[in-house]
Amino acid sequence: MACLYIPVQNSEEEVRVALDQLPRDAADILDILKAEQAPLDLWLIIAREYFKQGKVEQFRQILEEGSGPEIDEYYSDVRYERIAILNALGAYYSYLGKIETKQREKEDHFILATQYYNKASRIDMHEPSTWVGKGQLLLAKGDVEQASAAFKIVLDGDRDNVPALLGQACVEFNRGRYSESLELYKRALQVHPNCPAAVRLGIGLCRYKLGQFDKARQAFERVLQLDPENVEALVALAIMDLHTNEAIGIRKGMEKMQRAFEIYPFFAMALNYLANHFFFTGQHFLVEQLTETALAVTNHGPTKSHSYYNLARSYHSKGDYEKAGLYYMASVKEINKPYEFIFPYYGLGQVQLKLGDFRSAQSNFEKVLEIYPDNCETMKALGHIYVQLGQTEKAQEFMRKATKIDPRDSQAFVELGDLLISSDAGAALDAFKTARGLLKKGGEEVPVELLNNIGVLHFERGEFELAEQSFKEALGDGIWLSFIEGKENFQEIDASDSIIQYKDLRLFQQLEESGRHVELPWNKITPLFNLARLQEQLYNPETASIMYRLILFKFPEYIDAYLRLASIAKARNNIQLSIELVHDALKVNDKCPNALSMLGELELKNDDWVKAKETFRAASDATDGKDSYATLSLGNWNYFAAIRNEKRNPKLEATHLEKAKELYTRVLLQHPANLYAANGAGVVLAEKGHFDVSKDIFTQVQEAASGNIFVQMPDVWINLAHVYFAQGNFALAVKMYQNCLRKFYHNTDSQILLYLARTHYEAEQWQDCKKTLLRAIHLTPSNYTLRFDAGVTMQKFSASTLQKEKKTADEVRSTIAELENAVRLFSHLSAASNLHFHGFDEKKIDTHVEYCKNVLDAAKPHLEAAIREEQQIRQRQEVARQVALAEEARRKAEEHRKFQLERRKQEDELKRVRQQEEHFQRVKEQWKSSTPGSKRRERSDLDDEEGGNSERRRRKGGKRRKKDKSSKTRYETEEAEADMMDDQEYPEDEDANLNYREPTSQNDQDEAEENVADPLAAAGLEDSDAEDEEAAPSSTAGRRRRAWSESDDDEPLQRPLSRENSTEPQQSDEEVREDGHKPNGNAVSDDED
Amino acid sequence: MKLAGLKSVENAHDDSVWAATWVPATETRSALLLTGSLDETVRLWSSDELVLERTNTGHCLGVASVAAHPSGLIAASASLDSFVRVFDVDTNATIATLEAPPSEVWQLRFNPQGSTLAVAGGGSASIKLWDTATWDLIATLPIPRPEGPKPSDKSGSKKFVLSVAWSSDGKRLACGSMDGTISIFDVARAKFLHHLEGHFMPVRSLVYSPIEPRLLFTASDDMHVHMYDAEGKSLVGAMSGHESWVLSVDVSPDGAAIATGSSDRTVRLWDLSMRAAVQTMSNHTDQVWGVAFRPPGGSGVRTGRLASVSDDKSISLYDYS
Repeated sequence: MACLYIPVQNSEEEVRVALDQLPRDAADILDILKAEQAPLDLWLIIAREYFKQGKVEQFRQILEEGSGPEIDEYYSDVRYERIAILNALGAYYSYLGKIETKQREKEDHFILATQYYNKASRIDMHEPSTWVGKGQLLLAKGDVEQASAAFKIVLDGDRDNVPALLGQACVEFNRGRYSESLELYKRALQVHPNCPAAVRLGIGLCRYKLGQFDKARQAFERVLQLDPENVEALVALAIMDLHTNEAIGIRKGMEKMQRAFEIYPFFAMALNYLANHFFFTGQHFLVEQLTETALAVTNHGPTKSHSYYNLARSYHSKGDYEKAGLYYMASVKEINKPYEFIFPYYGLGQVQLKLGDFRSAQSNFEKVLEIYPDNCETMKALGHIYVQLGQTEKAQEFMRKATKIDPRDSQAFVELGDLLISSDAGAALDAFKTARGLLKKGGEEVPVELLNNIGVLHFERGEFELAEQSFKEALGDGIWLSFIEGKENFQEIDASDSIIQYKDLRLFQQLEESGRHVELPWNKITPLFNLARLQEQLYNPETASIMYRLILFKFPEYIDAYLRLASIAKARNNIQLSIELVHDALKVNDKCPNALSMLGELELKNDDWVKAKETFRAASDATDGKDSYATLSLGNWNYFAAIRNEKRNPKLEATHLEKAKELYTRVLLQHPANLYAANGAGVVLAEKGHFDVSKDIFTQVQEAASGNIFVQMPDVWINLAHVYFAQGNFALAVKMYQNCLRKFYHNTDSQILLYLARTHYEAEQWQDCKKTLLRAIHLTPSNYTLRFDAGVTMQKFSASTLQKEKKTADEVRSTIAELENAVRLFSHLSAASNLHFHGFDEKKIDTHVEYCKNVLDAAKPHLEAAIREEQQIRQRQEVARQVALAEEARRKAEEHRKFQLERRKQEDELKRVRQQEEHFQRVKEQWKSSTPGSKRRERSDLDDEEGGNSERRRRKGGKRRKKDKSSKTRYETEEAEADMMDDQEYPEDEDANLNYREPTSQNDQDEAEENVADPLAAAGLEDSDAEDEEAAPSSTAGRRRRAWSESDDDEPLQRPLSRENSTEPQQSDEEVREDGHKPNGNAVSDDED
Repeated sequence: MKLAGLKSVENAHDDSVWAATWVPATETRSALLLTGSLDETVRLWSSDELVLERTNTGHCLGVASVAAHPSGLIAASASLDSFVRVFDVDTNATIATLEAPPSEVWQLRFNPQGSTLAVAGGGSASIKLWDTATWDLIATLPIPRPEGPKPSDKSGSKKFVLSVAWSSDGKRLACGSMDGTISIFDVARAKFLHHLEGHFMPVRSLVYSPIEPRLLFTASDDMHVHMYDAEGKSLVGAMSGHESWVLSVDVSPDGAAIATGSSDRTVRLWDLSMRAAVQTMSNHTDQVWGVAFRPPGGSGVRTGRLASVSDDKSISLYDYS
């Protein structure tokens, strides 16, 4: 046992103090020390002994006594010991300050420590141990730079001062300069190979930080050899084990952690790690306990932050987002710089996202992204936030980046695809396809939703085969395959039962009875529905109907399937069945706006006006007026009502039109891009005569409508054509009608043919008009109006031919044939009127017959005249020919004569020239000189003469032509005379026409009234009238023709009806889309979690 | 089972071709194709080269239907002006001009025995039967009007009779009308038997199977072809696939296939055992108004031929095997 000997003053004796038997009361010892004036080192040794035995109070008492002013005075020359005592006290208070958690007391301790060190410095400025102490104090206070300065002073004096080396190493470590720190630790170890284990701990930590894990591990293990209870080394080793990320490593690590915990249960780091572990094992209770302890025992920011983080995470995973958010926040608060510990930001972001605080979440995720610019999850989260904030482009940007950074993250591609769906279907499809490829490559099962979405996108792009493949892949194997391939043919059914064929579920019942398992997993409904929709598009409604019925067999509340079945039935004109199916849908949900809208439309088709209006109202109410379809339908209803009013009450008409306009405008306000509303507004405007504006609208709608396979808007083409027609631009109107017919109706719509015929009629292209009407009759033979129109056209054609100034006998003959046809048609109609086939007044038809017969009679003289005239013409032609021959002969004679004359003249000329020449010769000879000028003149003379000749010849030719002309005009005047004679017969005809016209227009009114049984027809009639009135001023025919057009153009203008029809595909398209998107929504919310 | 295009004649008529039928071969010549058009002419074409043999004029307004007597000697054509012209195929001599006002005429069919000509009576909602020996009207088979109050204007026009077909034994007569109902008549007793329901849009063409006397094929504007057991009143099958109205249907002489022509500009061949379209011909550029299989007989008995005519003024001939 170690003993201490206190020398007794002024003697050789010593007092023996056994160090393990120090008195409990330090005062006893102090008395001895004081009495014997023991050397100060003894004081220190005793104090240290007390400290070692944990008797801190005694330790402090002795040292405080040993540093008192008396001692200073008495031992004033014993400097080192005094310094040592002061330093010991300084170190003690530094330690106290370091472990103290309360801020004020901590500071008090540090102040005391500082005081002691300063006192020591005052004794000897250069004492290294004081500097070391000061350095430690500064370190404890976190003042790394000054601490470093203090250690440096010591090391400058003695570069092997171990405490200073350790201190400096600590400084460097804190500065993050681990290799420097490591060097210092190494030197300390070299200088003092037996130094405490803590030095090796430092080495281990440095190596760990430098990434030299093996060497770090060695160092820690060495620490444990030296000091098996060293918690830090144990924890460090445990962490390293945990980070191996292998099951064995983790288990070993946890064992070490536990041992460390058993050794010292208040080591925050170990607590955090244990908490972390229990978080992953799901023992949240332990997590909370451990972290709470850790929080209680540590004041170290990062560690606390870690603890809060653990706690937050625990609550987060339990779904207590409020608490989790609070703890994340606390964790974040403990962090000075986000890069030290970024996880809580991520967690906080997630919680805020969950709680809907997108802005804060965004800022937190952005912080994470600053640290980890390539973190896909964060980018995806940010992308998602931007979606929620409506900044789609930014969202896409992030998603794109995420997919670029990790091109194997199928989830990111799926999300990117979801984002792009509304803006860029092509890119979305690409993203989905990539995701599918990745999943397939990875051997994972491709989710049904993804395949469904791919299918829908292909579908929308019109790539039906690819869409079908995709849907089939989504569906996988099942009972539906046999329906798709038509293996399971549907049984024979009684033809009278066929009325319910689209409601028949017996097929499946029979299948089940026969032992087949009819199964349809819930997640296959959507792809099956979409596949059925596709089959419809591919004109396989039978297959589609079986699939819809299969859905309904298993899921009777799937409204959309009812509606599609109703739609198929409607397309086949099976209105009764269609209505029943819609009622089935309404049984499931009597507020379903889609079903109500469809019902309204069907009621309209059934001529149930009042009911239809109520139904549309209900549909509109069911959606608080937000459903544009219902509003549009109401608008259409009002439009029909405006134009169907048989009594033509202008006031009522105006109110209805106004109401329609208002409704269209309302839809347009909600959805500025609604084509149908724009079209409706255009119609109302056209109705009011604003053709230019409506033309603009229609043109825009037409442009917008092209390019999407689901938007089929033939109406706008028709409307545009109507406007062209009304503006008198017949050629364009014809083109527009024809294009529309071909593009949308496979040339099967007799109504448009009728429009076309009307345009031809107005353009006075009688034959085209007739042919068009015949085509229409061929398509719709039961429409007697068409026959009537054809008759009128032929009649009109004949009349106009007879009125022509010039006509050949053939023309007149064909005219007569046409008239006979017209008579036949009219008499047919007249006869048929007994059978009440059509709504014509017999009297009126008789008038037509009468008129045609009159014209026919009148035509006979025409024919005779024409024949006569033809003969005359032939005679005249003969005469003319003879005249021409004579003329020719005369001309030839004349020419000959002229030629002779000419020749004689020329001869004379020649003679004269020769004489002149001779004369010239003579002169030349006389003068014996020649000048070039005279020569030139000579030649020019000759030229002149030739020119004169040619001119004369030309003049002659001219004369001949003039003569021809005069002969011709003579014939013409003769003809004109003949025509004039013909004309004299006309007035009679004209009168007949006029006489006839009066009753016609009157009959028209009757007819309109008779036709009201078909309100659309009546509507059309009125409409056409309105347009005719507009057209009339611009055309030359004017009033008379208007009367005509009224008589025959009772076109049931089906504009509104066809619009109704075409709205429907769009609706169904929406259905598909909605369905297609539903799973996406789920996927996103999953991800949020 | 397939079709192979043999020959097409562009501008075979001056306007839309609306009707086609084969005139059976006689001892002196092989079968001829008879076509009717909006251009008011009826033309005869020799097979397989489709050489124009003759152009018959005389109709006013478009020619809506043509029919050939099973003997191959006489044929009939009907136009929109409600005249039926019966003529000698080889000489074009008019044998008779039939009309029964106020009834329109639409489709015409000779019975397999050749004794009677059935004419779809249009708005009269009846079939008119004419004796082919005397050319007298022998019977009018009216479609019973639906019960209820006074028939309205609309229901009248809905019953407009468009198409007729004789069963292969000549005992039954079927007709299709604008509202999609099909009516079956017992010819011997001149009695209406029953309706076949399932179509709700015009049935423009129907034909009995030559093999199964009960089996009736109907083509409708609802884009479907139905297969009925006409006696048992049951719907045997419904075939969809055309993208627009099905305008005409004909059954192959072997009874194994049917061909359809549609407004979607295609001709389709349907395998009856599979009840599915096996081939789609899209050589026409407008609605296909008529399809007709050549009846067996004469030279080249074994080779099947199908002709189609269209609004695009052309005629096409296919090899059916």
